[in-house]
Formats: sequence, C-alpha cells, structure tokens
Amino acid sequence: MLELKDLSVSIARIPILRNVSFEVQEGETIAFVGRNGAGKTTTLRAIMGLVTAQGSILLNGQAVDHVQAHERPALGIGYAPEDRRLFSAFTVEENILLPARVAQLTQDETNRRLERVYGILPELKEMAKRPAGSVSGGQGKMVALGRGLMLGTHLLLLDEPFQGLAPVLANRYAEALRALRDTDRSLSVIITESNPGLLKNFASRVITIERGEIESVEDVSKVEA
Amino acid sequence: MSLQILVLTVLDGIAYGSLVFLVAVGLTLVFGVMRILNVAHGSFYALGAYAAASLGLVLSAYGISAWFAYPLFIVAAVAVGVSVGGLMERFILRRIYVREEYLQLLVTFAIFMILDNVQRLVWGVQPYFYTEPLSLMGNVTIVGIPYTAYQVIFLPLVALFILFGLRWFLRKTLAGSLIVAVTEDREAATAIGINARKVFFLTFIIGTTLASLGGALASPTTSVLPGMGAEMIVLSFAVAATAGLGQIGGAAIAALLIGLGRSSAVFFMPELEVVVPYLIMVIVLLFRPEGLFGKTTARKI
Ligand SMILES: Nc1ncnc2c1ncn2[C@@H]1O[C@H](COP(=O)(O)OP(=O)(O)OP(=O)(O)O)[C@@H](O)[C@H]1O
Ligand SMILES: [Mg+2]
Repeated sequence: MLELKDLSVSIARIPILRNVSFEVQEGETIAFVGRNGAGKTTTLRAIMGLVTAQGSILLNGQAVDHVQAHERPALGIGYAPEDRRLFSAFTVEENILLPARVAQLTQDETNRRLERVYGILPELKEMAKRPAGSVSGGQGKMVALGRGLMLGTHLLLLDEPFQGLAPVLANRYAEALRALRDTDRSLSVIITESNPGLLKNFASRVITIERGEIESVEDVSKVEA
Repeated sequence: MSLQILVLTVLDGIAYGSLVFLVAVGLTLVFGVMRILNVAHGSFYALGAYAAASLGLVLSAYGISAWFAYPLFIVAAVAVGVSVGGLMERFILRRIYVREEYLQLLVTFAIFMILDNVQRLVWGVQPYFYTEPLSLMGNVTIVGIPYTAYQVIFLPLVALFILFGLRWFLRKTLAGSLIVAVTEDREAATAIGINARKVFFLTFIIGTTLASLGGALASPTTSVLPGMGAEMIVLSFAVAATAGLGQIGGAAIAALLIGLGRSSAVFFMPELEVVVPYLIMVIVLLFRPEGLFGKTTARKI
C-alpha cells in the first residue's frame, strides 16, 4: 500500500533521516516507535511532502515524490499532526469539514464521510459548534483525528495521538481507533509513539526508529491474534 | 463659525480616512497572510490613480458622460491590481517568501523604485486632473457648508462596503476560509490539501487591487502626480501599525483616527499636517507596541 525506499531527510545540512525503508500493507496498522527526536514526525511529514526528502515514496505502487504536498491528501491520506494544529478561527465542525471542502467533494460524499466520523467519534458531534480554540488538548486530538479521517480513506498518519491524554480519553481514543479498523478493514494506519508498550495490542508490526535509522521491524500480529 | 470648522474637520477626516483605509486594509491583509510588508503597495495606489485619470481624460476627450467613470474606476483598479500585482507575486515575491525579512523589505522597496520610474516614463512628471466625477454626484450642505457627496457619502460608503465585504468574504466563502487557514498555520493547511501558493497569489492581488482602487477613487479629489505613492505607503503603514498589523476592522478605526488627526491639523495647526499621522502612530505604539487591536498570540486576520 505504502512503501518508503531509502528515505533521507536533512534539515540545514544535518541528517535527520537516513535511508528509512519500510512497507505498510493494506489494512495494516503499524506502530512506529522511537525515542524523542528519533525522527518519527519527520518521517510522517516526509510522507505528506512537508519536508524535502531524498529517496522514494510509493503509494499503491506509484511514486508520489513529484506529487506536491497539497495534492497528497486527495490521494486518500489523512494526517493528524502531533500538536493537533487545529484552526482556531473555525468551529470544530468547520475544522473537520474543511478538507472535504478543499477537495471539493460532493455534498452527499461530504455528509457520508462526516457521518462516518461522527459514528466513530460521537463526542465530536456534541462539540461541533464550539470554536476549535476552546476545546481541551485531548479533545483537540479527537478533532484532529476526525479531520484526518475526512480524506484519509486509504492511509491514516497519527502522530503521537496518545501523548498527554488523560487515561480516560486515551482509552476512548483507542476504542475509536478499534471501531475505525472494524468498519474499514482496508485502511492502513501508522501510529507513532515514544512509549512502545502502549501500542502492542493495536499493531500488526512495530517499527522502531533510532537516530533517524530504522532499528528493527517486529512482527506482533500473532501475539494479537 | 467654529462649529463650521469643526464640521469641516470631521468631514474632511472621514473622506480622507476612507481613502487611506482602502489602501491600508490591502497592506494589512497582505501582511497578515503572507508576513511581507510590501513597500511597493503605495505604487499600486499611484498606478490606480494614473490609470483612472487617464481613462477619465479619454472619456472627456470623446465627450462621454463622466457617469461612466465610476465603473471604469473599478475596471482600472482591478486591471492594475491583478496584472501588475499578479506579475509581482508570481515572478518576484514567490522567490523570497522563505528569505529574511530585511531582504523582503529591500526587494519590495526596489520594486517601488522601479514602478515609480515606470510611472514617470509613462505619464511624465506633470500633474493630471480629472475632477468631473467629484462634482457629478452633487453637493450636500451641512451646517451651511457645501461639501461634495462624492467625498462625504460615496467614499465612506465604499470604505464600509469593502470593510464588511472583506469580513464576509473571509468568514463565509471557501476562498476566504482558505486564506484564514493558511494565515493561521501554513503547514497544517497544506496537510489538508490547501495550495498555499494559490492562496498567497489570491491574497496579494486582492491587496494590490484594494490599493489601486484607493488610488482610482482618490484621483478626482486630488492632482495625480509623482510622489503620491510614497506619501500613501507611509500613511497606510502608519494606519496598519496603529491598528496592529493584520487587523482589518482595526485598520478602519485607525484610518478614521488618522484621517481626523490630519484634518484637525490642517485647520488648527497647518504646520503639523504632515507629521500628525506619525505622531498618532508613535503615541499608540509607545503604549501598545502591538497596535490598538493587535494580539500578541495566534496569527489571525
Ligand atoms: N525544522 C527542524 N529544524 C531543525 N531540526 C529539526 C527540525 N525538525 C526536526 N528536527 C530535528 O530532527 C530530529 C527528529 O525530529 P522529529 O520531530 O522527527 O522526532 P520525533 O521522533 O518525532 O520526536 P518526538 O518524540 O519528540 O516527537 C530531532 O533531533 C529534531 O531536533
Ligand atoms: Mg514527533
């Protein structure tokens, strides 16, 4: 589904990622773990085209290296950044709807996707009309997930979704992710986390990155089954 | 007598403030979204004025009614803003968005100098007068003072229309939402599929069109001559800074304040006319460095 081949990123001539290669199968959930500063966020940003990268990124066999960053979400990639990055000038629902408006989805399609988001994250419906700047950090993570889901029909990139979540909210978020995978079995997901223990029973594989290099790829699907 | 002077001061201030607002709001919009202080913004005011006056003179040469001048002013403003502004963004600014601020300032200043010379080449240094649209709308008499309806009714109405139109555009339309989103967080906007380049282009030509609209509408009220762009850029910068850079509603109030300050000086302390706008700016910034309406936190327009 997604394939990274020898992805390297340097920022201000300092190498941040070195020959990062891995694959994500259709319907698979990957736990992408590594310590702070290991390069998780940079890898996700490279997939989104937000940093210049050497190497190649293939989506369903097609290289997307020359697809501009703003054109990548329309390929079915949803991204929920680490620090939420909601637009505080808009309401929660406007934040969720904006990607669909940008992609000029039909009204029917937009409604269908919005219902899907509200089906998985019903709490978003309750705060739909609130200004996005007024929701708590944890709620903001939910909104960012909902926004990512609007276009993320094939691939979802979640950057440390559990970080800073109160246990109750973290459980709620995990529950939502499970519901998502149960309703959409072809969706591939990459979840980053600095605490690998958290994701063990989620992922089929755990990919560990250390100082910009892939350290290990561990198959854990049998444990889960 | 003194009541009459007071009324005259207020009317003058409103008329002048309306024109300054049109220019300043474009400057502040561009700054708010793109973080570029466009020194060449004043050139668009001058180009708009020259284009409007030239078209107007063609009208009167052919004996065509000056009523056609009003729609022609809008056409001239849009033509200048979109073509010259579009070329400037596409071929020059686009290359320097990631560069240091001082470089951006120097580049826009250089463009200002170039456009200033282009004006002299095309229109020469003699002033142009096309004042028919000023008297055409008739006069209104307020406490015995006749004043042109163009300045005390039409210009303020245009300014209000632009103010509320711009707010509506930014809040209610998709294109406006894209501008707001890119202003707040360019990367997050890109990650949901927004083409920030297009948004910058659109914002810039809206800004330059507003400046040239200001110039076009100012042309009947003044002689169109070299140097008018320089005066206006400094004035509209004073307005934008007084309001807080990026503040659209604030720019309207600051423009009115500075317009009134200037007209009071004209009547009461003529020797201070030129410095009053900057005095106001300096006093405001001494007490509120972020401007009257500026926020130090999240970027917004
Ligand atoms: N824009 C940047 N400028 C300079 N250095 C950067 C930039 N972005 C990332 N880095 C550096 O690249 C390295 C990897 O950063 P990255 O954010 O990808 O790590 P991470 O694994 O997501 O860490 P965390 O767990 O803290 O989120 C870090 O050393 C970081 O300091
Ligand atoms: Mg990170």
